[in-house]
Amino acid sequence: MSLTRAGDVLLKDLRLGPRSPIFLWALALPLVFTFLISAVFGDLFAPPARLAVVDEGSSAITEALEDDAGIDVTVLTDTEEMRAAVQGHDYDAGLLLPAGVDEALQSGERVPLQFYVSGASLASTRLVLGVTTLAEVRQVAGQVPPVEVQVVTVGDEDWVPVEDRLLPLIVMYAVVIAGVFLPASSLVEEREKRTLDAVLITPVRMSEVLLGKAALGVVLAVLMGWVTLAINRAFAGQALGMTVFLLLGGIMMAELGLVLGCWAKDANTLFTAIKGGALLIIAPVLFTLFPGLPQGVARVFPTYYFLQPIYEMAVTGSGFGDHLVEVVVCLAICLALLPAVVAMGKRLERRSALAL
Amino acid sequence: MSTSIVATIVRKDLRELRADRFFLLLTVLSVVFYPLIFWVLPSTVDETLRVGVVQRDVGPLLEGVEDTDGFAVTEFADEAALADALVSGQGDLVAGLVFPDDFLSAAASQQPSQVSLLVTAAVPPEVESALSTLVSELALVALGEPAPTELLADPVVLGEDRVGDQVALREQLRPLMAFFVLMTEMFALATLVAAEVQSRTVTAVLVTPATRTDFLAAKGLVGTGLAFLEASVVMALIGGFAVGAPILALALLLGAALVTGIGMVAGAFGRDFMTVLFISILMMVPLMVPAFAALFPGTTASWVQALPSYGFVQTVVEVSTQGAGWAEVAPDLLMLLGWTVVAFAAGVVVLGRRVATL
Repeated sequence: MSLTRAGDVLLKDLRLGPRSPIFLWALALPLVFTFLISAVFGDLFAPPARLAVVDEGSSAITEALEDDAGIDVTVLTDTEEMRAAVQGHDYDAGLLLPAGVDEALQSGERVPLQFYVSGASLASTRLVLGVTTLAEVRQVAGQVPPVEVQVVTVGDEDWVPVEDRLLPLIVMYAVVIAGVFLPASSLVEEREKRTLDAVLITPVRMSEVLLGKAALGVVLAVLMGWVTLAINRAFAGQALGMTVFLLLGGIMMAELGLVLGCWAKDANTLFTAIKGGALLIIAPVLFTLFPGLPQGVARVFPTYYFLQPIYEMAVTGSGFGDHLVEVVVCLAICLALLPAVVAMGKRLERRSALAL
Repeated sequence: MSTSIVATIVRKDLRELRADRFFLLLTVLSVVFYPLIFWVLPSTVDETLRVGVVQRDVGPLLEGVEDTDGFAVTEFADEAALADALVSGQGDLVAGLVFPDDFLSAAASQQPSQVSLLVTAAVPPEVESALSTLVSELALVALGEPAPTELLADPVVLGEDRVGDQVALREQLRPLMAFFVLMTEMFALATLVAAEVQSRTVTAVLVTPATRTDFLAAKGLVGTGLAFLEASVVMALIGGFAVGAPILALALLLGAALVTGIGMVAGAFGRDFMTVLFISILMMVPLMVPAFAALFPGTTASWVQALPSYGFVQTVVEVSTQGAGWAEVAPDLLMLLGWTVVAFAAGVVVLGRRVATL
């Protein structure tokens, strides 16, 4: 087998690929899904509460506000600049602390503080910023509330937000569409247009065609998986480990795509087969989405072994070393699919020869 | 320039575009997909913190806070019922407060008491912190300790107060969707032009009585017409013409002419589909920046305001979300017009020279 000729097949598919709707689908769908999920369930384009402070002295209130969790505090030097920025909704609110405010508060004086809110800020954000600022002012004034607040977490402490539980679904689409659909549809299209027969009368062998098509699927699967994880900010310091699983998942799916592409006699048969077998691919995602389902059952499905480690590394903070078993299983599945790819490739080659 | 010749070339171009299944698919997808996304997204912005409370003896204290926009209280009989409501998501509660029976008397006599703040793991830290602070504030009020300053009662609101009338994400997405549609058509025109230049069908056209001017006019008409038509259909389907329709129609027309000029430049330089794709994306990226910037709160950076598509995006934003009229958007429309003239002229000159060299 010549790697150069396989590379030529890959380059040809790469050149012609962008005109295929499947190629564009593979590129666009993970991005569209990410956007929709973030927009519907998440806080896309909604930054945390932002407070601008002009501190004319060196108030302890500013320091305390900067330490508050969940609030972005920016210290500005000019009041007019702050007013303009708050009006333009660069900040949700602005606070002017005159010089000597701490001393005045500590001496029990009532200090008129100027608190500006942006007309475009949310009511809840104004409340959060106002209450938090007031607490810090009270603190500096030495007013200690006679109450202790005990935070009690109810429900599942390991609760994972829906948008995080949907991560395997988005990754699955990125890897499966590029990995399965691209090689499979490309093979079927070439058979339907009989360009495969033309290619096979050149020195290019079937194994090189299959390798070239699989390579395109794997490269795009890994690339789109990477992009999906990056825009979902899901790497959690495990980019390398996740890339390994994306690669293994991409290879597994590309092998499946080759088997289907060699087997299906036309596009209708291919898409019917994929639709029929989609549940086997999607099933692990359902178990992540619905934690109440018996989780052990998910292990029956091959895609579990690359989707679950990626999900766990992104959400639960596990490391690559915690998923060595899944690496071995993924490798075993890839190796087990190889004879099927070879057999289906030979079958297709025979059919092409007969057709000629 | 002959109108009948231009019309003939336009018909030929439309036939070629219709025969291209790839662009047909992109066009149909744009018309179906963008409205679908628009209507799936939430139409309102929830700006209220809903809190469940057990022990309504603190009612008089909470009344002051309840009057504040963005805060709502629901009473529960006991802690278990409140916890159930939080876990099941009933009433969209973000947290619960369980006050002890003697909270008021204990606070008034400066005796320490304990209040439970029930939260789910989904509650963001700033909300948890704000509610803890709220409890402390209530205790200090019960103690008779006045706040050393009045922040919440008398804030200065800068700009139009949009509490209760916030712009939903889908409304913010309108300019982006309209511009994406224009971009799709720019790409279609660029590919059509590149194909004609590469296959030299343009030289065949020019040996007929058709002149270079006819050819360029036809390309401008096809590009502008298609982009305007498709963007108008999408805008209509997403309710974009409900306010200021004539202004928006003019903005779409200018935007269509702008992307057509850019499409002609991309097409003139493109050697094949891949180079057209590359050049188009190279040109699309900066043009899309203003549309994305409009999704984020705050003042747009000055370099973004200098981009050709800023006038278009700003006009759509101001008209559709703020109900702006001709006078308010005049500077943006003028800027858009200026860029459109520049882009269209550049397209005509570059493509004209390319055709002349064939």
